[in-house]
Amino acid sequence: MQKEMAYSFPDEVLKHVFSFIQSDKDRNAVSLVCKSWYEIERWCRRKVFIGNCYAVSPRMVIRRFPEVRSIELKGKPHFADFNLVPDGWGGYVLQWIAEMAGAYPWLGEIRLKRMVVTDESLELIAKSFKNFKVLVLFSCEGFSTDGLAAIAASCKNLRELDLRESEVDDLSGHWLAQFPETCTSLVSLNISCLGSDEVSFSALERLVDRCPNLRSLQLNRAVTLDKIANILRRAPQLVDFGTGNYAAELQPDVFSNLAGAFSSCKELKSLSGFWDVVPAYLPALYSICPRLTSLNLSYATIQSPDLIKLVSHCPRLQRLLVLDYVEDSGLEELASSCKDLQELRVFPSDPFGVEPNVSLTEQGLVAVSLGCPKLQSVLYFCRRMSNAALVTIAQNCPNLTRFRLCIIEPKTPDYLTLDPLDAGFGAIVEHCKDLRRLSLSGLLTDHVFEYIGTYGKKLEMLSVAFAGDSDLGLHHVLSGCESLRKLEIRDCPFGDKALLANAAKLETMRSLWMSSCAMSFGACKLLGQKMPKLNVEVIDETEPPDSRPESYPVDKLYIYRSVAGPRFDMPPFLWSMDEAVKILH
Amino acid sequence: MGRPTSSSSSIDSPNHFAFSSTASSQRDLTTDLRLGLSISIAPPFVREQWPPMKAAVAEEEHECNSSTFYVKVYMEGIPIGRKLDLLAHESYYDLIRTLEHMFHTNIIWAEAEMDRDHYEKYHVLTYEDKEGDWMMVGDVPWEMFLSAVRRLKISKC
Repeated sequence: MQKEMAYSFPDEVLKHVFSFIQSDKDRNAVSLVCKSWYEIERWCRRKVFIGNCYAVSPRMVIRRFPEVRSIELKGKPHFADFNLVPDGWGGYVLQWIAEMAGAYPWLGEIRLKRMVVTDESLELIAKSFKNFKVLVLFSCEGFSTDGLAAIAASCKNLRELDLRESEVDDLSGHWLAQFPETCTSLVSLNISCLGSDEVSFSALERLVDRCPNLRSLQLNRAVTLDKIANILRRAPQLVDFGTGNYAAELQPDVFSNLAGAFSSCKELKSLSGFWDVVPAYLPALYSICPRLTSLNLSYATIQSPDLIKLVSHCPRLQRLLVLDYVEDSGLEELASSCKDLQELRVFPSDPFGVEPNVSLTEQGLVAVSLGCPKLQSVLYFCRRMSNAALVTIAQNCPNLTRFRLCIIEPKTPDYLTLDPLDAGFGAIVEHCKDLRRLSLSGLLTDHVFEYIGTYGKKLEMLSVAFAGDSDLGLHHVLSGCESLRKLEIRDCPFGDKALLANAAKLETMRSLWMSSCAMSFGACKLLGQKMPKLNVEVIDETEPPDSRPESYPVDKLYIYRSVAGPRFDMPPFLWSMDEAVKILH
Repeated sequence: MGRPTSSSSSIDSPNHFAFSSTASSQRDLTTDLRLGLSISIAPPFVREQWPPMKAAVAEEEHECNSSTFYVKVYMEGIPIGRKLDLLAHESYYDLIRTLEHMFHTNIIWAEAEMDRDHYEKYHVLTYEDKEGDWMMVGDVPWEMFLSAVRRLKISKC
């Protein structure tokens, strides 16, 4: 009787049930139940996320999931953001687009992060997918406004075009005029990364005019303050808006026009942009401040008193990105006004200066930790820290999920005791039991890694620089952090022993990056030999690693699990340690 | 587990320099720049790599302070350009040295001498000015070049 029940569901019923299961983890679990569920599930999976474009080949994805409508791909390692990955490393999307063009005619959504996207790729997307709706290029590069013109011209039902933080080659501002008059479907447009010559404002105005569903619009720096009112009056339904540059001579009529335009946007909850801010124009925002949940002022070079005034008008703020001009005093005001705060990011205004240019210390972060009980995510650049402050923060905010601290000078000790900051970070991992992401800085010994290995059971991503004394540090992390997916390390004395002893761990992670550490070429080769399911890649821009003794350390090392085997598209400065690859550069 | 005993981690071995010199040369660079000394220990672009900030945020700030000026450099045959901070260089000689290191070739510019028998080992350096014209690098004084240049191109001879 029981056996019959198991086989009595028609495939259609199972398919329908599976359609309610959206998360990748659950889908993966479903596919492991039995062969028939695996088969049914793979035919009805519509969304695929690939965290490392070299972990699997396009052909393998297409073979397993023949009916995908939405794909997300990530390319370069995170440290590429800080210029640690040489240009030309890889992450090319063209091959993926080419294969999907044939296999997925109904592909509607492509989301890419840190990939190289050429105009050819964009033209291929425009040509191949008749139902194309969403293009998100997050921190991508390699394309120009010509490619964007192709997308605009061909994608009749485009809903989202988001180019956040990408590098676009400026050729002409007229690509926006390529959106046909019949295109009225835009919901989200983010062109904040474009330079001066890359946007025709009149084309933009007409586009905004005819898209009644536009909810999210981020302008670029070239759009002047006087133009904001025009745009907002055409799109009072906006929920998320990024200004261009927010500077102009103070003129009462411009001001009142702007204030009026903002107040007509009853749904506006999130603001960004604000290049070159003139403080006198900030009060134009006051009417919408009570509704604001997210404020990105990371380009706004305004001083603490103006920031305090603005923030005190925003009691519902959940997310704040700001420069360290906010100072401790501004953060104290934030702590008393914004009890719903969940995420805080404070960036340095003068990162390369040796002396502090603003009065921002650990006190500001302590104040926020005390005043904002819902704080979950922190990114904080400062010049001094103490174990006592970190312990206080940890005790005040046990719900932290992301904690990234950057003390600007490497190896800075506790400024009060001159001790390493091991105990402080130890308190963070001990008290914040749901911590998923952690970035360390300051003077740190192997002890901090012992704490992390002991307590960081939910830690998924760890970033380490100028820390530790020996391989023991790395060993603690690799052997203790059960949930670790991404580990990135620079300038630490970690060598061969810990890595070789924990080689199997690397197959349970997405990737490991190590640069300027003490991993030898010989050990890299050994790892490559012994672990066929890992791609072990050595990067050296000065000379081939085998032109030096095997004991010599490698410059940069990137190890990731892969079912696709070694890369086909390796640049001359990258060597695969895979046994099967005979290197002929 | 104490210090690894393999030869790669002995105090005298090169790798001990590998990580400590990066940190100290980083700081020396900053101090020396402040003292107005010209140094050539590390490639000029080491500075970009710490503190860990996305270029966009750092660059925006530096546009205000005018202490960096990034231009794209394209090499013939490679569609992706590389970025270079011109203000991290003091002169044409400095710039050429960086480019030769970045692109692994010999660069011809206004003041260069070329071995005519081996022209395939050389590349010509030109720049696009504000009017969109391509000019040979090195014909005008350095400061004038800085105010006119929009991007650089390295082409085969």
